Order: sequence, then C-alpha cells, then structure tokens
Amino acid sequence: MIAFVLAAAGVAVHALALALFTAEYGQLPLNGLAPSLSTAALIIGIGLVATLGLGEGRRVGIVLVQVVILLEAVAVSLGIEPSQELLDFQGWWFVFHVTLAFVGLGGLAVAFASGVLYLVQLHELNTKRMGRLFQFTPPLATLDRLGRAGLVGGFITFTLGLVLAWLWTINFGQSSDLWNVKVFWAVMSWFIFVAALGVRAGGGVKERRSALASVVGFSFIVFSYLGLRLVSSQGGFFL
Amino acid sequence: MSPVSVVGVSHLTAPVEIRERFAFAPAEAEAALGRLRTESEVQEAVLLSTCNRTELYVCPAGNERVKEAAERVLSDKAGEVVGGTKQYLYHHEGEASVRHLYRVAGGLDSLVLGEAEIQGQVRDAYELAGQSSTRPSLAGPILHRLFQSALSVGGRIRSTTPIGEGAASVASVAVELARKIFGGLEGRQVMILGAGSTAELVVGALARDGIRGLVVSNRTYERASELASRLSGRAVHFDEMPFELAKTDILIASTAAPHPLVTGDGFRQARGSGRRGPLLILDLAIPRDVEAEVGNEPNVFLYNVDHLHEILDDNLLKRRSSVPEAEAIVEEYARDFLHWYGARSVVPVIRSLRGRWDDVRRGELDRLLRKLSHLSADDRDLVEAFSKQLLNKLLHDPTRRLKQGAGNGRAVEFIDAVRYLHDLETVEADSSEGLELDDAQAMEVEDAETVEVEDTGTTDG
Repeated sequence: MIAFVLAAAGVAVHALALALFTAEYGQLPLNGLAPSLSTAALIIGIGLVATLGLGEGRRVGIVLVQVVILLEAVAVSLGIEPSQELLDFQGWWFVFHVTLAFVGLGGLAVAFASGVLYLVQLHELNTKRMGRLFQFTPPLATLDRLGRAGLVGGFITFTLGLVLAWLWTINFGQSSDLWNVKVFWAVMSWFIFVAALGVRAGGGVKERRSALASVVGFSFIVFSYLGLRLVSSQGGFFL
Repeated sequence: MSPVSVVGVSHLTAPVEIRERFAFAPAEAEAALGRLRTESEVQEAVLLSTCNRTELYVCPAGNERVKEAAERVLSDKAGEVVGGTKQYLYHHEGEASVRHLYRVAGGLDSLVLGEAEIQGQVRDAYELAGQSSTRPSLAGPILHRLFQSALSVGGRIRSTTPIGEGAASVASVAVELARKIFGGLEGRQVMILGAGSTAELVVGALARDGIRGLVVSNRTYERASELASRLSGRAVHFDEMPFELAKTDILIASTAAPHPLVTGDGFRQARGSGRRGPLLILDLAIPRDVEAEVGNEPNVFLYNVDHLHEILDDNLLKRRSSVPEAEAIVEEYARDFLHWYGARSVVPVIRSLRGRWDDVRRGELDRLLRKLSHLSADDRDLVEAFSKQLLNKLLHDPTRRLKQGAGNGRAVEFIDAVRYLHDLETVEADSSEGLELDDAQAMEVEDAETVEVEDTGTTDG
C-alpha cells in the first residue's frame, strides 16, 4: 500500500512537471532526447503503478522502478529543455503516434521486468535454494502471465503507433525510407516485438524462452536507441 | 512474590501417546475450568491445550493447594497412567512461569521452532477462560495482563526475527515449491508413485491448497486403491503410469523399489508428445525412484531427499540463529510484566500511607482553622487546598520510588520499611479491609496517584 501510494504520488508529480514544461515552452515533451526519455519514464511509471495493484505480481515493480529511475536520471543529466529540432511530423498525428509507441514500449518494459524476475526465480528453483530471493520473487506462472500480457498489449499499441506513422506518410506524401534512422529503429523494434512473441509459439519451454526474449529485446531496443540517437546526425528523431 | 504458576505436559516431557491423554476439547476445558473455580482457591486460570502441550496457568501462585488443584485437573483428564501422571508434568512458579508462557507464545518452546499456530491457540485459550455463561470469568487482571503481553511477545518475535521464515517440514517445503512454480495450486494434477506415509502427508498439505485431481500408482494395485480411496483420489495400474505422467503437474515418488522407476528415456517418451508445462517432482524414496537426468529436462524441477533435507536444514539454521534475539524479547517483556506486578503489590501500602497522613493533615487542619476562626470561607478553602497540595508533594517521591523499587523485585523490603517508618501496622490493623485490593480499588489508588501528580504539576506551574 505504501509502495502504491508513493509510486502514484511520484507519477502524479512527474506528470505535473511535464504539463508545466508543455505550458511554459508551448512544446510537448516528445521532441528531443531528454524530454522524450522523461515522457517514456512517465509512461513506464504508470505501468509500474498498475502492476503494484496486481497481488504477487506487484514485485515486478522492483525492476520497473529501476528502469524508470535510469531513464529519468539520463533525461535529467542531459537537461530537460525544449528542443530546437524542427519536426516534419507534427500535430495530433505526432502526439498519438509517439504516445502509442511509448505505451507499447511500456508494455515491453513490464515484460522485461517480469522476465528478469522469472529468470531469477528459475535460477533459485534450479539451484534448490529457498532463500530470501526465492521468497521475495513471485511464482513462475504469475511472472509468465504478466510478461505475456505486457508483450501482447505492448505489441498491439506499438503496432498501432507505427501504422499511424505509415498512414501519415501516405496522407502527406512523405518518405518512409527505411534508412531514415527513426524509421529503421522503429521497424527494428517492431520486429523485436514479433520475435519475442514468436518464441512463445511452438513446443519446448516457451516460458523461459519468452522471458529471455523480453529481457534481451527490451535491453536491445533501449541501448540501440541511445546508440543511434547519439551517433545520428539526422534531426526530427521523435524520441 | 509469585504472580502466577503453571503446571503442564508437553512434547518435551511426554510422548504423543501420553500427551493425547491430557488433551482437552474446548467443552472439556470449559468444564474443567468451572470445577477449578468452584472446588479450589484458584482465582484466575487459563487452560492451553494443543497437540503438543496441555498447560494450566493459575493464580495465586505459591499456594500449595492451588498447585495441587491444578495438577488434579490434568491428572483427572489423563486418567490411569502407568507410573503415574506426575512423572510427565512440569511446574513453573513466578518469573519462570511468565517466561515460559512468553516462550510458548513466541514458538520458542514448540516442536517446530517458530511455528505460528501457537499464537492463535494461546489467544483461544485466554478467550475461553474469559467467556462463559456458566461461571465467572477466570481471566482476571493478572492473567489478562500476562496473556495480552504474551500475544504481543509472539507478534513481535515473528515480525522482527526470521524465526518463522522458511518451510520447516517436507510437506510445507513441497507446498512452497509448488506455489512458487504454479502460483495457485487450484486445478493442478498430482500423482503419487508408491504408497509411503510421507507422500500421504505431502498430498494432505497440497490438498488444502486446492489441487484438482490425485492419481495413485503402485506396483500392487490394491495398495494404490486403498491409498487413493483414503485421499479421495484415483488408482491406476503401474503400467498406466507413463500415460498419467504426461498429464501430471506434481509427481511425488516414494516407493521401496530397488532401482529407478522413472528413467530419463522413459520420461522423455512419456512427456515428449504431450504437454511441456512445468513439472515438480519430489523424489522421497531411498534408493531414488527418479533418475537424476530427468532433472535436466526443460521445465522439470526435481528434488530428491537430500535436496529437501538441505532446504530444511537451511531453514532450521536460520530459525535457530534468531533464538537469542527472540529470547531477548522474552526477557524484555518478562521484566516489564514483573515490574508491573511488583508495582501492583505495593498499592495497599500506598493506600495506607496516604490514609495515615491524610488523617494527620485533617486533624492539624481542624486545629488550625479553629484558631483562625476570623478567616472567610474562601480563605479557609485556600488553606485546605494548600494542605492537600503540600501532602501530595511530600508523598509523591516516596510513592514513586516505592513503586519503582517494588517493580525491581524489592517489594517486600520496601513495604516493610515504609510500614515501619510510617507506623502503618497500626493503621492497617485498624482497617477493616485486607491488604489485597480488588481491581476497582487498585485502579482507584492509581487514579489518586495520577491526580496527585497533576496537582503537584499545577502547584509547580
């Protein structure tokens, strides 16, 4: 209960801060690296608050909160300031597109957190230990269910975000060149979602494969984004 | 001075076949307490009866007839025992009985160290002594305080030390493992291989968590059938075991077979084409029923006897390591209780002391007011208020220190000194009331002391 109240209060303060940012600069915090990371942290924070109401599943929050802190720490260290970048892609199209993509990544973050704890619990069970980590970590079945829900929900919203961007390019006669960094990264992320879902199909131990895929997939998306963002000279990169 | 004594029998003094003869059902306990109240000098009593102990806590302590009455209650219940019942009974007086109850409530005296069930049993025993339509309550002020604090001790020990953490039996380890793999156990399929008694205990524990179906397979079909009917399960012939294995979530193996019954190849064949969900295997047999390589199969969690004992040893070690911390809590609460009790025993002396000097005050005040007859009514009231405040101030420190000293176990010498120095023997001899106060009187004196301190504060201010 205390964790829920603290997390909800944190998310509320964060949302208020981003609303003030929008009011002050007349720019949504979706443009530029630091504001976008802060918005991503906010959306994952909302996911964190949602998981805290899930009985044993709430312990996934211990991983999610670290993802939120990491993203926000990077954002704050870069300085959350209005961007000078001029975006081709603006207005409500842009807002819906980015928000859906963020919610999709939030779902993958939940799957990542569940996957981390799944692998920890699996390790504890295989090493025949019943220590504090074993006691703390939720059951494998609970973690698998939560991971699957995050993955499926995230995939649907992320796909909708991409479809929206694709429709925009058709509607306004814009380019959807795959070698544009943001297009490349978005399509790559979508394929990572597909791969993570794909490993759940077929025989064998799909739970463990899925947990691994979620952990690797989410980490790859985050680090590839940071890498591309830092080395790319292209502007208008939505994150 | 001994506040309470206890007589009892427990797993430490008697085997189960003796303990079960001392066990009281709630109705029997109620009747026994009723008899104790009417047929003896017992003023307060609580009867605690669990599968591992039967104990009777009584007040007043230090009274041979009360002790005999308590022993008689237990011996009557046990009936004829070879060699007599006394050889199994223990008896604690005073401080030892207080510490004993605190240790019992904290699970320090339990068969399974730190078990939590005893906390509820102590509460039930106390409530039974207090609630009855056929007799006066036997949970008087002393046992009320003692049992309430015992429940606090139990709660604090469990919440601040790891004494109750980790499963402490094979059955509870099995349940904990199953929960950590499957979440809830509702709808899970369990298969027992063999008909060992440990397997039966494990299934009993799992059944409480709502497993869906139970299958028993044994080389002798009749034995499988017998166990299956006892556990509301289904018996299958041994050659059907591989087919059932494909549908099983939890397998408990405990046969006396000289070689493994579930081999790596056989297992892969049985599970290969079927579902590949998690499978928990508890191999309780020696020699093992399940080949070790089965444990390397994906999604299979194989625990043999050594693994289970290692877990139990680890848990027990953790529980044992918290004993000193728990004992310190017991000691702290025992000190508080004895301090409270000691302070309570000086209440009659405080009452006499105050009465003695209040009489002096009144006499002197009367004499003075006769000489000061010119004073107005308001001024007379002021003089009287002054005399009361002066008396309160003079008696405040002696009263506080008397209670303090009594709480530190020096009640007798302090009481004697105060009686001698203030010549209270005469006062008490003149008093029609005895030294023992009932609850209402004790509270009255304590209230008076509170008022006295408040009065003093007002004067100081």
